[in-house]
Amino acid sequence: MKEEKSVYGKSFSLIIAFLILISVVFIIALFVTYNLTSNYVEGEFESKKTEVLEQTIKPYNDFFNNRVPEITFYQGYLDSASAVKYSDSVFNDYPFVKRIVFYEIQVGSQHNDYNVKNALSIGIQAIYEYRSKNGVVITSNKRRPSDYVDFKLMANKLDNFVAVADTSREPTQDEKFKTFYDIQPEKISYLNIPRREEVMRYRELQKQGPGTSVYKQNMLTFILDQYALKVKNSHPELYQDVSIRPVVYDPIDNESNNITTEAPLPVAFSEYKLYFSSPKGYLTAEVNRRFMPIGAIVLLIYSFLVLIGWLIYRNLSINLKLFKLQYDFINNFTHEFKTPISVIKIAGSNLRGDSELSERQRKQYGKILDEEADKLNDLMNKLLSFTQLENKSIRIKKEDIVLDDFVKSYLDTFRIKYPDFKLEYRIYGIIDFYTDPVLLGSIFQNLIENAYKYSNPKQRELFINIRLEKRHIIFSFKDKGIGIAKEEITHIFKKFYRIENQYNQNGSVGLGLAFCKELANFMNGEIEVKSKINTGSEFIVTLPYESAVYN
Amino acid sequence: MLKRVRILFFIFLLSALFSCKRNEVRQIPISDFFKNPEKGFFRISPDGKYVSYLKSYKGRQNLFIQSLADGKETMATSFTDYSVRDYSWTYNNQVIFSQDIISDDEYKMYALDVPAMKTRNILSLQKGRIRLLNNRDKKEPDMVMVSMNKRDPANFDIYKLNVKTGELRSYLVNPGNLTEWFPDDDGKIRLVKASDGVDETVLYRSDDNAPFKPIIKNNFKDRVEPIAFTGVKNYFYALSNVNRDKTALVEIDAETGKEEKVILGCDKADINRVDYSENKHRLEMATCDEAKPKKHFLNADIERIYNEFSSQLKGSEVIIVSRDSAEDKFVLKSYTDRNPGTYYLYEKSTGKLTRLGDINTSMKVEELCAMKPISFKSRDGLVINGYLTLPLGSKTTNLPVVVMPHDGPWRSRDTWGYSDEVQFLANRGYAVFQVNYRGSTGYGKAFYSAGLKQAGGKIQDDITDGVNWLISEKIANPKKVAIFGGGFGGFSALYGVSFHPGLYNCAVVQYGLINFFTYIKDVPPYFKSRLQMIYEMVGNPETDAEQLRAISPVFHTDKIKAPLLIFQGAKDESANISELNQFVRELKKQNVPVTYYLKQNERKVFRNEHNRMEMYTEIEKFLDNNMRVNH
Repeated sequence: MKEEKSVYGKSFSLIIAFLILISVVFIIALFVTYNLTSNYVEGEFESKKTEVLEQTIKPYNDFFNNRVPEITFYQGYLDSASAVKYSDSVFNDYPFVKRIVFYEIQVGSQHNDYNVKNALSIGIQAIYEYRSKNGVVITSNKRRPSDYVDFKLMANKLDNFVAVADTSREPTQDEKFKTFYDIQPEKISYLNIPRREEVMRYRELQKQGPGTSVYKQNMLTFILDQYALKVKNSHPELYQDVSIRPVVYDPIDNESNNITTEAPLPVAFSEYKLYFSSPKGYLTAEVNRRFMPIGAIVLLIYSFLVLIGWLIYRNLSINLKLFKLQYDFINNFTHEFKTPISVIKIAGSNLRGDSELSERQRKQYGKILDEEADKLNDLMNKLLSFTQLENKSIRIKKEDIVLDDFVKSYLDTFRIKYPDFKLEYRIYGIIDFYTDPVLLGSIFQNLIENAYKYSNPKQRELFINIRLEKRHIIFSFKDKGIGIAKEEITHIFKKFYRIENQYNQNGSVGLGLAFCKELANFMNGEIEVKSKINTGSEFIVTLPYESAVYN
Repeated sequence: MLKRVRILFFIFLLSALFSCKRNEVRQIPISDFFKNPEKGFFRISPDGKYVSYLKSYKGRQNLFIQSLADGKETMATSFTDYSVRDYSWTYNNQVIFSQDIISDDEYKMYALDVPAMKTRNILSLQKGRIRLLNNRDKKEPDMVMVSMNKRDPANFDIYKLNVKTGELRSYLVNPGNLTEWFPDDDGKIRLVKASDGVDETVLYRSDDNAPFKPIIKNNFKDRVEPIAFTGVKNYFYALSNVNRDKTALVEIDAETGKEEKVILGCDKADINRVDYSENKHRLEMATCDEAKPKKHFLNADIERIYNEFSSQLKGSEVIIVSRDSAEDKFVLKSYTDRNPGTYYLYEKSTGKLTRLGDINTSMKVEELCAMKPISFKSRDGLVINGYLTLPLGSKTTNLPVVVMPHDGPWRSRDTWGYSDEVQFLANRGYAVFQVNYRGSTGYGKAFYSAGLKQAGGKIQDDITDGVNWLISEKIANPKKVAIFGGGFGGFSALYGVSFHPGLYNCAVVQYGLINFFTYIKDVPPYFKSRLQMIYEMVGNPETDAEQLRAISPVFHTDKIKAPLLIFQGAKDESANISELNQFVRELKKQNVPVTYYLKQNERKVFRNEHNRMEMYTEIEKFLDNNMRVNH
């Protein structure tokens, strides 16, 4: 027993060590993953701002790349009426365009309201200003001094372009951008790009001075409002607040509980920036939110390892128990064998020692030897059939039995064996039963034997009741024995289990009831017990009813 | 069981394959359709000793001379860069021809001394155009008359050019509004046309020293086309539709501009061709393009000649394309809808007809498809004419259709005759539908005027109605209709897929008109006189800007969903390449499946044989891919 304990103790400490190890790993893993997540989120806070910026200025880019150059498609034929329609669609699609100034420009004419003094004599024929009010375009003719500044700038650019342009090819994208666009903070000016043919004519104009031909150009200045730019916070989980702020905006945060970052806006809004801010707790919440699934996975792995540990532990302990049981069994069995063997031994030595045996002595010894050999045989049989039963190596040999005869024969045997045993039986409504008589007989023998064994010598009584219930046949063995304590009832059908009391001192291995249960199960039936201590027990065997008629 | 089913299935498959094979029409290779003409432009020398023609050499058209005496052929030019263009014989048996050096934007004119086989460059012009106006001057046989915008890109002046010496003499300076000149039989210009854009004026002078005086003034919808002086008083023959719907052949008094006599009129179509003999100073024949061309003879001699050779060439349209001064030898061209053209030499004295050559020998009549004139009523009741070419084979219903709206309304129409594109598509199994929508020429003034300012409007409706008519006649498979056109036809295609998205599967566009503002703006300076007319035709950008915007495809990329195939020559003067590039970029951004081919050194129509083959290969593949789906 000492050795066994040490084995058990070792495996237990091993398991503890294992548990501690994986717990430590678990905690480290949690810690590391949390830190990684936190770093990742902080990194994203910096990097995802470009995405927000892109989303936010997407309409602006669309406007700049598509709607602005669309003016050239009109080839200078945009007039105040179509300009209103154009402006209307721009105001509708791009709310950040606050005002549009439309210049009808004449090239090569000196009869203009306002002429730029260069060789091309580019002049303003008319200026219109459009703004949107409740979805309606309002036109006004008021001229701002800045309009002239813008115009002059563009006119000079055109003049310069005409003077130096290579007319043998289309202007490059770069030349176009430098000449026909002017981007200032909150303002984009665009002049429709003249065709090569026109550029050549313009050049002639530059050389020869104004003639009779007059050419038309369109210029539009878009005044933008950065605050009408819709901020599209595509990462609300990272940024609690994204806003457009002046470039110089830099609030002093005393408690420094806000994390901030910023992104510059394109040139047309260059005096402003996108300002991102989130309280620290906001980011922590985000870290936690992202950490949750990772933590859950780590926890899952941990639980899985613990489960495996437990399973190993359980297997170990079951093996240990089995080992113990076998040990007990061998103990019991040796004990069991010991009694008859020692009796035989005594009888043997007596036989050898006694010089002469009286007739009475000889019979006595013979009887003893016979009885003890029977006992041994019985034990062996029990053990054999039990192992057979457990291994399912028994074959059922069914035959039709007449119950009355079957029970009677057993009772007669026991009446002879135990003259003080009072046995009664009754059979209700069944005559025959199609089953294996040997197996059923074993149940009968064991239960009758038990009833005798666990009864007061004065009250050895057994009443067997057999009846049919639906499709089952029920055998009831009711005695007036010592009964079984409630806490024992669950164990009595277990192998090698014996209730420790005076009644099973001699020759019991705790196999009888386990054997009965195995038999009953083997025959697709079951066995149960009702018992009251000091009053008696009732064993009920239920078997599926089969009759020879059906088979 | 399964095995048997499988065997049955294979038998079925095999039989299906064989039956397919049996019905299949031989696919004529693309190169056979679109190779440069093998031999064409046959002309006879004034002395009747030589026949000249253009023949393909290294993919370019070069000039060849054949002596009729010994049948010897000589290659006169060996250009490998650009083909020989509009050549002709002078009175003095010299050949004049020109070359358009597209890559340098240069025009060159050459003269060939035939007996010596020597070619001389007699004139070159950078960034301009030279047109030969008159080449038969009996009194000065070495002199030819050319029009050239050398002095001013916007104005063509008339020069007399000595082909022997290359000496150039200014003959008539354009004050700025002259658009056409009509040299008389003596090589003098007494009639000219001036235009202020919308209104056309015919001017007359009695001799070179007298000033021109306007005699007839009319709107561009009217047309007076002087032909020749009659010889009686100062009367001249002319085609005119003044005060009538269909153009007729008339006599006009040059002194007053008054119409004196109607010689011939057709009630179904305009007279579009008049044959006049300069030698004999007589009208010979007039042709009306009805559903098929219809000849009216004005001279019994010529009718007899025509009858003689026509009896030998039954079933073909035959015209005289050239004759010698003695009017004994004639070069004839015969053609049908299934024959691109065969040239014959006819000798009146012997009645002998000799085959000179074919434009395309690879084409076999039995493999080509008949072009059938059709007509239908448009939604407002106007009768619209067109042509339908069905593919060979027994199937006449539920066919895939390619609609081919023609280019330039108010300038052209589809006529009956051979078309390589039409035959190519029909050979590939498509029914080809050509519509002479309103605004097309040849059907009279009213029909022509009905198309004014109707681009994207009633013109498009006519095309749409035509397609719907084909569907209602069960000819077209409504799920398989493609639209394919060049220039204005390309516009119609783009407009069709933009605004009638369910009607067309896909569109093929060659040098497509995508922006009417650019179209107007890009009228080259020497076409400036046409600007006012264009305003009336499509709209004035000053007043109709909204309308122009509404129909210009460049503003409506968002409406196109159908696959597009676009071809463009980078040197096309009326195209704005950067605009087209942007249009394509925008379409790609909208995920429209668009394939775009921009070819350097090409103008509108691809002259380079290789480019042309590539284009039609792509078209075949594109149509195949897009017309096979939705089976």
